[in-house]
Formats: sequence, structure tokens, C-alpha cells
Amino acid sequence: MTVEFVNAGIPWITISILLPLIAAGVLFFTTEKLAKPISIVVSLIVFLISTYMLFAYDYSSYAIQFYEKYTWIPQIGVSYEVGVDALSLTMVWLTALAFLVSFIWSTNIKKRVREYFVAFLVLEAACIGVFVAWDLVWFYIFWEAMLIPMFLIIGIWGYAERIYAATKFFIYTFFGSLFLLIGVIGMYVYQYFDKGILSTSYFDLVNLHLPFNLQVIFFLLLALGFAIKVPMWPFHTWLPAAHVQAPTAGSVILAAVLLKMGTYGFVRFSLPWFPEASKYFIPVMFALGVIAIIYTAMMAISQTHIKRIIAYSSVSHMGFVTIGTFALNMEGLNGAIITMISHGFTSAALFLAAGWIYERTHSYELKDLGGMAKFVPLFATLFMISAMASAGLPGLSGFVGEFLSLLGTFKVSILTAVLAGLSLIVGAGYTLYLYHKSMFKESLLPPEKIAQWEKLKDMNAAEFLSFIPLIIMMFVIGLYPTWWVNLIKTTSAAILSKIIGG
Amino acid sequence: MSILEQLVSGLTLPNLFALLPELIVLITALIVFAVELFSKSRYLISVITTVGLILAFLSTFIIKEGDITFYGLYVIDTYSLLFKAFLILGTLFVVINFRSYFEAKNTYYGEYYYLTLFALLGTMIMVSSPNLVTFYIGLELSAISMYILAGMFRKDFKSKEGAFKYLIIGGAGTAIISYAIAILYGRTGSFDSLEIAKQLSSDNLDYGIVGGLILLVIGLALKASAVPFHQWTPDAYEGAPTPITAFMASVAKVATYAIILRIMVEAFPFVSKEWSLAWAILAALSMIIGNFIALRQDNVKRMLAYSSIAHTGYIVAALAAPTGMGFAALIFYSLIYILMAIGAFILLSGLEKTKGWTNHINDFKGLAKKNPAVALAMLIFMFSMLGIPPTVGFMGKLNVFLALIGSDIWWLAVVLVVMSIISAGYYLRVVIYMYMYEPESKVQHNLTVPEVITISVMAVLVLILGIYPTIFYGFSTLLSSVLLASVGR
Repeated sequence: MTVEFVNAGIPWITISILLPLIAAGVLFFTTEKLAKPISIVVSLIVFLISTYMLFAYDYSSYAIQFYEKYTWIPQIGVSYEVGVDALSLTMVWLTALAFLVSFIWSTNIKKRVREYFVAFLVLEAACIGVFVAWDLVWFYIFWEAMLIPMFLIIGIWGYAERIYAATKFFIYTFFGSLFLLIGVIGMYVYQYFDKGILSTSYFDLVNLHLPFNLQVIFFLLLALGFAIKVPMWPFHTWLPAAHVQAPTAGSVILAAVLLKMGTYGFVRFSLPWFPEASKYFIPVMFALGVIAIIYTAMMAISQTHIKRIIAYSSVSHMGFVTIGTFALNMEGLNGAIITMISHGFTSAALFLAAGWIYERTHSYELKDLGGMAKFVPLFATLFMISAMASAGLPGLSGFVGEFLSLLGTFKVSILTAVLAGLSLIVGAGYTLYLYHKSMFKESLLPPEKIAQWEKLKDMNAAEFLSFIPLIIMMFVIGLYPTWWVNLIKTTSAAILSKIIGG
Repeated sequence: MSILEQLVSGLTLPNLFALLPELIVLITALIVFAVELFSKSRYLISVITTVGLILAFLSTFIIKEGDITFYGLYVIDTYSLLFKAFLILGTLFVVINFRSYFEAKNTYYGEYYYLTLFALLGTMIMVSSPNLVTFYIGLELSAISMYILAGMFRKDFKSKEGAFKYLIIGGAGTAIISYAIAILYGRTGSFDSLEIAKQLSSDNLDYGIVGGLILLVIGLALKASAVPFHQWTPDAYEGAPTPITAFMASVAKVATYAIILRIMVEAFPFVSKEWSLAWAILAALSMIIGNFIALRQDNVKRMLAYSSIAHTGYIVAALAAPTGMGFAALIFYSLIYILMAIGAFILLSGLEKTKGWTNHINDFKGLAKKNPAVALAMLIFMFSMLGIPPTVGFMGKLNVFLALIGSDIWWLAVVLVVMSIISAGYYLRVVIYMYMYEPESKVQHNLTVPEVITISVMAVLVLILGIYPTIFYGFSTLLSSVLLASVGR
């Protein structure tokens, strides 16, 4: 694989990593009052930069754009190397949007405000870094550095069981990523003995022609790290715990950004690095994906806690990404990437909705809810759109990705496609169940509930503002998917070039 | 040449200029000793010590490398100079925190200062010894000073117990080392590392060499507190006054790692297969036992003592890969371990001055609310010891990892990984107690200016080196090539 580079005139990527970090440093020395405006402005700037990159990106041919490279540790061949292709860019843009949304939402935070925003800003820098780093040491630094703020966010601003959830999240992810590290170092050492170069650059490691048995070993090591982050069944148990306990904005970031790191890792590293091993493991990945889709959909339908339902639905959607990725054809991969973006919007919106409900009613339990729709029409509408997008209603974003993933899968394994397709029904089932139980069923409401609901206030400006970009994007992707498919087409082709040729 | 001439030529002064840092430290110690007798000014003593250490630190930059003095018994090369600079600097950061701590504890003695200086002198002699006798003298000087220092809380039972254990077990350790030296001398007829190296190779192994090597490894492992020779460590570390613990855990430990590497490479380069396996086993045991016992500790100081055993494991694991990369990894990790150990222990000593503070994990509850900056520093040290980027602890473990996998020692790399995950259990616990619990009391912790300086310098260095470790990489690769070059000398 030879790759072209387009150097950045202005180091936009480095700026968007450094800016949140600098802001986090500044927050330490300012008053609590300034914390919110500074964070919102900074995340807005980062979002604008990433939007600029999205439009300035030239998708006619595959090249790493906005590319920067500086020598860092020459003794072991590490350099600071960042840049974007369409996949990275998509993820960076999603990250910037998700953070902007959660910062706007977080204006109602009251507990330890300054530390809250410091943690989120550091998290934003690390998340962007993961998606743009092309040097494996830097990738790993960002990948791990993100654990510290997320651990604190869940552990400090979470709910009752937060410490257990935070620790579980940390240890699970740390466990996985250390095996990822062993895998990467193993490849680095192999490269040194094979070619005599010391380099941790992606572009050197991708040209390493590993023998098949080593491919299998390294694939498994890396896959363990990614699978825990995705999370794939059976490594998903940290996710419901973390989601349920995390504060709303934390859940949004967890669902919209952090889960994507795992699937991003599969697409970015596993496929181009281990093409034969990827083919070899298709049945395993399909099986795990289908189990994730069906099993977690079943789990979701039997929950009574709103956030738990959404968390399980996330695992289920990630199953679609997995099977789409490992269909190893253009449709499947495009579908997987679109599902990743779309899930970023829908799950973020659903977690915001859950947070909104908790803010008003102080309960996440379905039995305490119901019949709200009439009293809070604006919220009910937005919630409805998000739920439908998540369930995969045509015209909204969820449908495009799942359709493409299934199409790609169908070409490889009809059984998998059929099983995954059938589970869409269950998916629609739990989403409708969630919406129905929480918003409708007015007739069953006791009078004191009605009295309580009548006092509910509909969305305020901040809440509305944080919802609206997500809703807009659901429609944009749903109605005009060609735009994004065009954007990622060359990138998908480049990623699959070793597998299907060309 | 007549006997008289021989005597006269033997009486010429050794090259004292090459000994400048050692002489400055020695003279400072003697001045402090004298001043302490006649003056009761505590301020004066700490100022003299600080100035002396700064002068000694600066003097390491002006002396010529590659000098040999005392007729070949003492070598000044880049390796020893760089370690000396770091040892002096580490001691400096420890010593400036003595006065406030001991005054708060009502156990101020002037002896702390000059004993620490003597211990430092011992470690400095250790790192520049090309000869087993010089090494032994340095080791004894530092060890005996530290036995006394550990027991300086005369009225505290734990301090006495710790010091006594340290004395007995440490004494046994030095005895073992002296046996080893005797046996090696009997086999090779020399104390000099290079002479020993010339006599040895893999195909002429006999009882003399193997016995000597085993005893030497055991003795060194005991000094570095590697499992199963670690029993003195928790008690001595917990009982000793906390700044002294900081000194023992950073300066004395790192000097031990440095001399382990030096002796192994200079005296036994051609039997590296044998000793690397021994160190690999010691490293694995230290990691496993240190981490598992640390999980069960409620006292943070004792937990850090066990964690230092685990770190001994991570550091000597690099010896399992007897390559330039492995040696560089050991040097890198030793240097950065100074930062983490001094930072964490001085932070504890700062907190310990508060009335009612017992170092129990419950005392840490809600620290982030009471003293956010202190809690943040502790968070940085904990994550660095755990090895999470962007702290420098990650870089240390990464290097060891690279060396191990580069030499195809997968099993030890996997042990290292699994044990790192286990260690998350107790490091995270401190963070959880600091950040996620409400404070139990409203007591504020006041840190003095030197403590604030020490802790913030260490925390900032841990972060900066975590992002830009290039300079330290330069140091460690340079030193490891210096060592390897001396093999063929």
C-alpha cells in the first residue's frame, strides 16, 4: 500500500488537539463562572475546525490530508504523525460534534463544575488524538490517556454505583489495551528483524508482509483490545454498568465516541494489517456480531431502566458495525462506517433524552414514567425522531447504515444477513417499547401522576440547542446518504485494497 | 626501582579533582556535623546541606569523563557521572523537606542531615566502582547510614522494628555479598570487574563461578528488595520517617539498580544467559508477590512499599533481555522511578504533618475537595506508577516491553502486563478515595514551600517526560552504549 500525503498548511489537527488541553490548563486558574463559557467556546472552535476540514477534504482520490510529521523519539523510531483520511475525518467530526453537544447540555451541572469541564476537555483532546494519530505510540498514548478523564467522570459525577462502574470500565479497557500494546510491539519487533527499520509509523507497519500464523496471533491480540472497547459480546458487561452510572454527558461521549474507537480500530488496523487473518476470522466475527445483535436486543427488551435499554441497544448496533466490517466488501464497510456515524447521533440523542427525563422526574425506571407526551410535546417529538432513527426507519440515518451493512453481509453469508435482519424487528420492538412505556399510555395514568406531569416544563434553550444538531444530521444522512458515501468511498477502497484488490 | 622510590611513587596523591562531587558531599557532611555540635540553628544546617548538594551537583558537570583514580579502584565515566547527578538531585529534593517534617513530628535531630549525606556518598561510590571492593565499601557506607536513619523515631515502636529488621536482613545481605566476592576472588584471582570478565566464559563454568554469581545475585536482589528477599522492605519503609523512606525508595534503590547493571555487564558479560534467567525469575516473583500483597494494604505508605517491590520487578525484568535495549530500558526506568518515588513519598510526608493523619486509606477520603492541587499531584503519581500515558511511567514500561519482546521473552512480558492490570486495583483505590468520597473531616493540609516545590517539580516532570521523553531516551541509550563499550575494553 503506497499512500500519498498532503501536508497541512496550517496545523489544524494539532490545533484541535492542543486547544482543549490549553483550555483545561486555563480553567485551573480561573473562576468557576468562566468554566462553562470557555469550554463551550473552545469546543465550538474545534467543531468549526473539523467542519472546515470536512469541506476542505478532497475525496476524489485516497490521500492522507492535513498531514503533519515531526520526529519525536529518534532512538526507537517514534515520530509525531497526524493526518486524516475520510474515516478519521468522519470520526473527528463526530467527536467534535458530540463534545459540543455535551458541553451545551452540561450547562446545568452544579457539582464541582471546574473539574467537570477540565475532565471533559482533556477527554476531548484524547478522543480526537486517537482518530488522527498515525504513529502507533501516539495512538496508544491517546487511547490510554482517555481512560483517566473517563474514569473520573463516571466515578465523580455518576450515580449510586458509580465507583464500581468506573473501576470496572477502567480495568476492562486497560486489560484489553495492554494486549493491544503487546501486539503492536510484537509487530514492531518483527519489522525490525525483518526489514531492519525502527519505526512505529502506520505506513511502515502496513507494508509488513506477515506470515499467516503471525497474522493470526497479532490479529487476536489487537482484536482483544478492540473488542473490549466496541464492546463485542462477551466483553460487553462493562458497558451497561458504565452507561447506567455515568452522568448524561458522560454517557453521550461514551456511546457516541468511545465505542467507535473499537470499531475504528478494527477498520483501521485489523483489515489492512492482517488481510488473510481477517478473512480467516470472518465466521468468528460474524458469529460474535450476530450473537451481539440478537442477544443484546433480547436483553434490551427485558430491561426496565431507560439507560440500560439504550446501552444494550448500543451493543446491538455495534454488532451491525462488526458484521458490516467483516463482510470485507465495499457495501459492508461503507455501511459499517455510516452505522458508526449514525449510531453516534442516535445514541447521543437517546441518552440526552434519558438525561432529560431524569432531570424532570428523578427516575430512570419505566414504571415511574408514562403518558408524558401530551404535556411535553417538543421533547416528545425530538425523542420520537431519535428513537425512530435508532430503530432504523427509512429516511433517517439508522436505516442507511444497517441496510448497507446487511447488503454487504448478504453477499458473503446469507444466514448471517437473515439472522441479523430478523433481529431488526426485535430492535424496533425494544425502541417502540421504550418510547411507548415512557411517553404514551396516558389512559393508565393515576391522577397524581397527571398532576405531576402538568407541572413539567418542556425543553429549555440549552437542551433544545444540544438536541437539534443531532436531529438535523439524522435527517441529512437519512435523506442524502450519497454525500457521505462519496466521502468515504475512496477510503474504504484503500482499506480493502489488500483484500479485494485495487 | 628501589623500594624507597616505589614507596614515594605510591605516595603521590590520587587524582582528587575527579572526586570533586564526592569530596564536596563529604566535606558538607563534616561541616554539618561540626555545626550541629556548636550551633542550634536548624535553618543554618539545612542551608549548608542544600548549598553543598547544589555545589556537588554542579561539580558533576565540570569533571572530565573517563578518569580513573585510586589506582584503578574508582572510575569516572559517563555512566557514573550521570547517575551521580541524579542521585545528588534526588537527595536535594528530599533534604529540603526534612526540617518541616521533623519539627512537626517533634523529633528533630541534626543527625538526619549528615547521615543522609553519608548514605548519598556511599551510593555515589557504588555507582562508580569498577571493582568489587570499592562497591562493597560504598554499599556498606550507605547501608549502615540507612539502618540508623530508618530507626531515628526513637520512641516509635514501628520505626525501631523496621530498622532492626532492616539491620538484620541487610546485614545478612552484605555478608552474602562478601562471600560472593571472596569466592569470585578465589576463582579468578581479582576483584576487578574487567579482570573477572576475562576469566569467565560460558564454556568454563565451574562451582566457583556459579556459586559466586548466585550469591552475588542473591545479595544484590536483597539490596534491591526483589522477592523472595524483600521481607525487610515493607517494615523498614513503613517504620522509617517518611522523607527517609523517600530517600531509601528513590536514591538508594536507584543506585542499587545502577550497580546491579554495572556489575552484571562489566564482570559477567559472557555468562549473560545464566544471570538473565535468574533476574527474570526474580523479576516475575517481585511483580507477582509485590502487586498481590499491595492489593491488600490499607496503609498507603505500606502499599507504596509493596509497590516499590513490584517496581523492582519491572525494572530488573529489563535484565532478562541482556541487550543494549534492555540496559537502556533499565536505566530509563531507574531514572524516572526517582521522580515518581520522591514525588509520592514527599507528598505523604507533607500530609503526615497534619494532626491525626495515619496514612490510612480512609484519610485520603475527599482529598480532592480539600486540597485539589495535592490530589491532582497524587493522581499523576499514581497513574504514572500504573503506567498510563501521558505520564512517564508508561514510557518506562514500554521500554521494558520492547526489550523483552525484542529478545523473545514473551512469558515475562505477559507477566508484566497482567501484573500491571492487577496493580490498577490499588493505585486506582487511592484515586477513588481522593476523588469519589466526601471528606470525613474539614482539616486542611498545609504544605510548606519546599514540599510544594518538590511535589510540583516531580509532577510536572512526570507529565512533560511522558509527552517528551526524548532527552531521557538519549541519556539511557548513551549510558547503555557506554556500558557495552566497556565490555571489550
